[in-house]
Amino acid sequence: MSQLTNEVEKHTDLYVEAFNRGDADAVNAFYTDEAVAVWEPGKPLTGQARKDSVKEFLAFGPKMTAKVRQSFVTGDTALLIVDWVIDTVDADGEPEQLKGVGVDVLRLGEDGNWRYAIDDPYGQAE
Amino acid sequence: MTTFTVPFDPEKPDLTDDTWTQNEIFLQVFNSGNGEFFDSLYREDSISNFSGEPLTGEARLKFFKEFLATKPKLEAKVTFAYTAGDVALIGVDYAIDGVNAAGEPFHLEGVCTDVLVKVEDGRWLMAIDRPVARGGLVA
Repeated sequence: MSQLTNEVEKHTDLYVEAFNRGDADAVNAFYTDEAVAVWEPGKPLTGQARKDSVKEFLAFGPKMTAKVRQSFVTGDTALLIVDWVIDTVDADGEPEQLKGVGVDVLRLGEDGNWRYAIDDPYGQAE
Repeated sequence: MTTFTVPFDPEKPDLTDDTWTQNEIFLQVFNSGNGEFFDSLYREDSISNFSGEPLTGEARLKFFKEFLATKPKLEAKVTFAYTAGDVALIGVDYAIDGVNAAGEPFHLEGVCTDVLVKVEDGRWLMAIDRPVARGGLVA
């Protein structure tokens, strides 16, 4: 939990750090228990399936850069619009670049840390 | 008084956890032209970007009253909805037809991202709206 932050603006940076380290447990700690992740458009994942998906994806050694375009924070709820790029390899080991404009909903936990409740990396068309 | 086609208590507005009902209530309250009524779908500290900038509290209420006074008509279609415990993210395609202060008709359309939260008494209310209009105009 010490890797989490109570400042929503820094949440993305810390997340990217954990992601680029390939640390699935650390990445999963950035989500609420009920969180929904839509890494594949139209296919929301929750619970163990969401956690397993992080592990599988990080096994390819992907590297992410992300920049928060807009953030709206109201009490215990935040909406972030994030430009992101991931360099990884596909199933055949060929380099592959993924990118998108993410729409993320975060909640402030009772412990003062922000966590993803909804992670929709292709949430905005442009 | 506006008649609603969905179960709705004006004293204690509840957008509910049902996507279809949320959209119906949002549309009908918006189209009632009553800014104060529409504002009650939001928490005090909720953020609305309908005006083109993030507004909360009194500033948001003032804008809603002015914006809805001429009774613009909103149409919206839900394109996605995800619920995670006591928070939900909804995407809609929307179109607004109205008349500006000079009496000229205007048309806006685009996509809107809405965040809804479940509040202490169990009702669901708007936390954040973020409309992005095509063609640069916001609302």
